[in-house]
Amino acid sequence: MSETPDLDQLDLEGLRAEVRAFLAADAPSGWREASATQEDFVRTQRDWFGKLVKAGYAIPHWPAAFPGGGRSLSEQKVIYEELARADCPRLLLSFVSTYHAFATLHECGSAEQQARYLPRILEGETWCQGFSEPGAGSDLAAIKTRAERKGDVYVVNGQKVWSTMAQFADKCLLLVRTSSDGPKQAGITYLLMDMKMPGVSVRPIHQIQGDEEFAEIFLDNVEIPVSERVGEEGKGWAVAQATLASERGLTLMELSYRMRGALSRVARLIRDHSHEDDRGILRDFGALVTQVDAVCALADQFLDNRINGIERMGDASIVKNAYSRALRAYSLLGLRLGGIEEQYIAPITFGDLNTGNWMADYMNSFAWTIAGGSEEVQRNIIAERMLDMPREPKGWVA
Amino acid sequence: MIELNELTDAAQKAFPADKLSPERDESWNLAAEMGWLMVRLPEDDGGLGLGREASTALHLEMGRILAAMPLIPAQLGLQAVAASESFEDRTEWLERLSSGDYAPLNMLPARLVQNPDGTVSGTISGVFEADMAVAVVVRLPNGYALVPLDAQGVSRVERPIWDPGRRIFDVVLESYSPASSLMLTDADTASSLHDLLSAEAQIALAADCLGGANAVLDMTVEYMKMRRQFDRPIAMFQALKHRAADMKTRIVLAEALLRSRVRDEHASVTDLASAKSLAVEAYRFVTEESIQLHGGIGLTEEHQCHLFMKRAMLNAQLCGSTDLWNERRGRTAFAQLS
Repeated sequence: MSETPDLDQLDLEGLRAEVRAFLAADAPSGWREASATQEDFVRTQRDWFGKLVKAGYAIPHWPAAFPGGGRSLSEQKVIYEELARADCPRLLLSFVSTYHAFATLHECGSAEQQARYLPRILEGETWCQGFSEPGAGSDLAAIKTRAERKGDVYVVNGQKVWSTMAQFADKCLLLVRTSSDGPKQAGITYLLMDMKMPGVSVRPIHQIQGDEEFAEIFLDNVEIPVSERVGEEGKGWAVAQATLASERGLTLMELSYRMRGALSRVARLIRDHSHEDDRGILRDFGALVTQVDAVCALADQFLDNRINGIERMGDASIVKNAYSRALRAYSLLGLRLGGIEEQYIAPITFGDLNTGNWMADYMNSFAWTIAGGSEEVQRNIIAERMLDMPREPKGWVA
Repeated sequence: MIELNELTDAAQKAFPADKLSPERDESWNLAAEMGWLMVRLPEDDGGLGLGREASTALHLEMGRILAAMPLIPAQLGLQAVAASESFEDRTEWLERLSSGDYAPLNMLPARLVQNPDGTVSGTISGVFEADMAVAVVVRLPNGYALVPLDAQGVSRVERPIWDPGRRIFDVVLESYSPASSLMLTDADTASSLHDLLSAEAQIALAADCLGGANAVLDMTVEYMKMRRQFDRPIAMFQALKHRAADMKTRIVLAEALLRSRVRDEHASVTDLASAKSLAVEAYRFVTEESIQLHGGIGLTEEHQCHLFMKRAMLNAQLCGSTDLWNERRGRTAFAQLS
């Protein structure tokens, strides 16, 4: 507050130069090829996360008490812009740990839980999220996994699904039902679970493009100590909101910038297939470039609003839907231009949106219109919260 | 920013949202009185000296009410005169045009030839409201010029148009002899003036589109909340609600691109035209959805839906179509990225 805007700007440019210098020296190259198998992927991810922690760019959103923490949103934006520009690997494996687990522990965890877990995250402990269930996707409050208190432990039985990279995780943010009385948001309890506990089994889900980004978690009489509960019993829904709100805007900005950078892949296809003078294809490419530019401008605007303390219900939904539709259009144009080549199965890079294989990227684009609140749920939010349209009547039964 | 809010407030007061396409001549006089013709004219030339953001704010409001007055071609004509370094009567013309004399820039390509004797013949298309114009600013084969509408060899032909809020004319030149005193540029500098005017035109048209699109969305959502079918407001049906959400998303996306491009001093004409393309496509989409969501009454002349749709389709043809600009965007991006 004491600084003038010009000084702030200078600081940001200073930070940008600093990050660029670091990336010029240390940005990983050839990581796509080096991530061909899951084991290679995990190794390159852990390696890159470690380097970023050491350099002070892995957890800019954590408090200043942690090395590299205490960055303003404007500073975080600069860091992510540069990471995207240098085409570094996204921190997929540590994403839940550094955002969701951090936010949950920081806002709702006990001092003891914070002291135990936060440093371990920086050492590379990996977390996953056990929220969704077969009968509860976007309708998260409908979870059924049961936990019964027996002395000092909760005995948990049930099944989780769509847990991102749970097969590599050490710990899990787990939502369980301890009571079925009252509205469905009540009676939910929030636990921290060790993935090595007896009774926990994980089965990766084979996605349509051959990736295994998600997994199912089966819980068979898993005994979780009561000391691993976050917040009060039955009040887990409020804690879950802290988890879900932990990442608002930065990821979509980073992804949008990465998509803009990846437009050069489409340009290369136009050149390789000698379409330079095909007016129809140039038109379609121009429309795509404009769409992607607009998504970047929108993500930027959303983040700038947040930096200025303006946050409106529905804005995030608009960014998400605009991004996921642009991603579909981007991968579809690549798929179209690539021709039959793209129908041949090629080895893909695990966990990346730009695998070098357009059919895989196109198939993966559906993950973005479904995961994290489906496109349809986002549309409801936009209509009801931004346009003030009435909700469906309560008590509706299919 | 205060200036922008003031401009927006003044526009909303002078042109309330509940009255669409207010009478042209009355609107024109009001706009001239408020100094809107001079929004982009530098203060040294007696203008308001406001930036592109001000132009955006103003045209957003005019788009919202489907303004019938020709503010965009007037602003562009005035800018052409202001940008001319060699024009002898520059000061006099700036005064005349700032205070309400109307000399529009044509909004479609002109098809003109220079005859062996130096005179010019052909058609200048897309001259808005030429019935009230004293002259038209046009690119002749030898450079930009003011062509007085009462000069010898100049006539105008109205081309009746679907959009009832606009009048559009062909200005026909028959062996017209351009007065050297009315030349704004020579042939060499015409391109740079074209780019300057085109950039301003893209911004103004994009803003006009988004103002209109917002008005249509508001009107449609209002109707959906009121109109009942199957014992509930149709706004409650998810299938329809989702369409409204998509309308909103398209508008917000196009607005974000326009705002970022308007703020970017290095934005090229193609950059700005891309923002216009996205805006005009959003406008078209929103007006199409609006007619459908209003049901039968959306298809009637009495209802306002069609007015916005006609404006959207007209805007799509001005200063370069979406197809043209998408292709250019594609070419420049290909050259940069491949």
